[in-house]
Parts: sequence; C-alpha cells; structure tokens
Amino acid sequence: MDLFVNPSGELSIYRQIMRQITEAIAGGRLIAGEKLPSHRDLSEQLVVAPLTVKKAYDELEALGYIETQRGRGTFVCARLPRIDPDDQNDQLRERARQLLSQAYLAGLRLPDVEKMLKDADRELTGGAAARKFNDNGEKVKQ
Amino acid sequence: MTSLEFTNISRSYKKGLPVLDGVTFSVAPGEVVGLLGRNGAGKTTLIRIAMGMLFPHYGSVRVFGLSPTDDPVAVKKRVGYVSEDQVFPGRLTIAELIDFHRYLFAQWNDVLERQLLDRFGLHTGSKIKQLSKGEARQVALLCAVCHRPELLILDEPAGGLDPAARREFLETSIQLLNREGTAILFSSHHMTDVERIGGRVVLLDKGKVRLDRDLDVLREETCMAMVPRAWASEPAGVEAIPGCLGVRLVLDEWHAVFNGTPESVHRSLQQSLGASNIRCVSLPLEELFIELVGGDRKEVGAA
Repeated sequence: MDLFVNPSGELSIYRQIMRQITEAIAGGRLIAGEKLPSHRDLSEQLVVAPLTVKKAYDELEALGYIETQRGRGTFVCARLPRIDPDDQNDQLRERARQLLSQAYLAGLRLPDVEKMLKDADRELTGGAAARKFNDNGEKVKQ
Repeated sequence: MTSLEFTNISRSYKKGLPVLDGVTFSVAPGEVVGLLGRNGAGKTTLIRIAMGMLFPHYGSVRVFGLSPTDDPVAVKKRVGYVSEDQVFPGRLTIAELIDFHRYLFAQWNDVLERQLLDRFGLHTGSKIKQLSKGEARQVALLCAVCHRPELLILDEPAGGLDPAARREFLETSIQLLNREGTAILFSSHHMTDVERIGGRVVLLDKGKVRLDRDLDVLREETCMAMVPRAWASEPAGVEAIPGCLGVRLVLDEWHAVFNGTPESVHRSLQQSLGASNIRCVSLPLEELFIELVGGDRKEVGAA
C-alpha cells in the first residue's frame, strides 16, 4: 500500500491517511483480512509523528474499517460496516446531480464526466486490475 | 508524569524588558510539540531554561519532575539536546567526541551509534572542524540520542540544512520517538516540518504563549475571515466577535483569524455584522503564523 502525505494539504495529516486507507479498501487494493503496517512502521515510512498515525488508525477502527488484534497487528475488517443501501443511494444520487451540475456549468458534457468517473475508478482500484466479486458478492483479490 | 513542564516562566536580560513573560505549558511523554515564534520571541531562552543553562527570574521548570538546575545530572541523563549554534571542539575527531559522550552516559547504546554512523555515512576519523554544516548537525544528533533520552529538545535543529538533510534529521527523530514515551520539543521556522512531525504547536509572541493547540484542531477548527473594511471601520468591531484570535488590515480588508470551521465562522460573521461578502478559508500553518504574529497587526488577548 502506497500512502503519501502532504503536510500543507487542505486536510490534516491523520485525515489524509484515513482517506487513503478508506479509498484503498473501497477500490479493493486492500482486502478484508489484509494486514496493515504497524502505526510505528507507517510513521517512519511517512515521516510523521506516530501519534498522528495512531489517531488515523483509532478513527478507522471506530468506524469499523480496521481492527487491532492484540499481539498480532492491525487488519482490514473481515466484515466491513454495511451502510443502509436506500440511504446510500439517495445520497449518491444527490452527489451525482451536484457533480453533473458543476460539470455542465464548467462547459463539460456527459461523456467528459463519464471519462472522469472511469479515471477515478482506475485510480481507486489500482490500474486495469478491475476487481472481481465471488458468488457471495464479496470482493476477492485477483 | 509530564516530561517537561513550564509554570509561569518569566525572564529578562534587561530590567523591565521581559523576554519571557508568564509562559506556562507542558509536554507529555510521546508528544511532539513544535515551538514557534518570530526571531526574538523567546524560544531559545525558554529552551535554555529547560536545559538548566539559564535560571528563570520567576516561575519554575520541571523535567521529569526535577529541576534542571538543582538536579542537573539526573536531568541530563534523560534529555538529549541539539541546537543550531552548538559548538564542539574543532580539533577532536568524531570518534573522540563520541568516546567522550559514551564516557558520560552509562546507558550509551553502541548499536544505535553504529546505525547512525552508517546511515549518515560519517567517517569517525574526520575532524569536527572539517565537517559540513549538515554533517556537524548529524554528529550533534548522534551525540544527543545514543543515550536513548526520554526527552529530546531541539532548538532550530534543521536551520541552514538542505531539504534532504532536514528530512533525514526528521526521520531519525521519528525513529527515536517510536521508542515508547520519548517526547520531543523542537523550535523551527520550517512550518512544513512542524506540520509533518508535530502533534501540537505552541506559538510564542513577545514572551507570551499566544496559541497552544493540537495541529489537527488548528487545521480544522481555525480559519481566516476576509472582511471588507466597509463592515467595520475599526479593528475593535471585528475583535469583539467571539472566537477572534487576531485582526490585521490588508489593503482594504480585515484579515481576522477565528476559532471555528470556515462555515461556522462565515455564518456567525454574517449574523453579527450583517455582511454578505465575507470569505472564510482554512489556512496552512505558515499563513496562520503570518496572520497571527506577522507585521502590522492589532493585539487581541491571548488565545
């Protein structure tokens, strides 16, 4: 997992870490049960304070995305938190409308937006390796 | 127990002109605190007081509960110190300097010493006076950390170093920090370094603590409002609004730093001033520093 922090970025560093790990899980680059680096190792890798990484891990754990097993390390949760699909769909539809109106105001057309979505998908899922689902609808790594 | 605790510290070099004026804050084990302030704000004086190199004229400093002037040996065993203007005897070789430090500290760690020598690529036969600025600082860091201090005090440690040397310095500090409980207090003018490894910042301004806050809170719950002058003829009109940390006039706008997210501050300013064309933005640390202690500005009470 390649993480990157920008100290002068818009988001605070712990939120940058949280967002990148959540995106990696959403895109299937991190799969259920996969082990994350310890917060100390990650702090040395990113050259940020260990407490900052710990804060990101604690928040992700509270949200149910990762879990710490004592003496073994930190893992992506086997069962990720399910969000009520009806709520989620309404929210996503609203977001889609906002995205399109912003794009149209900027003079873009629907195919441009579709291309942007595909690009974003490639970034999330990590290149051409589109993720696959098994029969139970669970993500599996190729 | 706190690693380092300043209580109401005052100190002046000339009578009636305090360099430090009632400074109070503490550093907990494992915490990284960035000490910020303009040149002359009192950072180095405060650090020297923590190291027992200066007496405070008022107030007290405790390092692991001990006074650095009453118990200098017990304190120095547990503290590492690097400053920008540290001078080591130029005629010594690196090896001789390290031997001297090893002799002083019973708990000197030879493994860490070797690791750092390799990592920095230092030749122990070189004389101190022949070293580059970056190499000299690396030797100083090595001498400051190989006894595994529980508190590392760095006074502008990266001053004058190139970006690669600075990063290497930070990496080494982080690795040390990862040993349970080591705390760091460091002063720096490199705001991105502070944002990168700091957890909390303390901003000194004219000898007082102007701001003492978690960086995350500072980033997310502090913002700057740009208020056209038409809405307030005097700075007091903006200062009086709750949450205001400082105001200065830039061309025809008030730049005011507020506690709160840009959205909430925008809302409260709209209500209190009845103004519509106010912009609120969150700020990187460097901009915040300039807004709070830079140039021409009006004072508002300490944060």
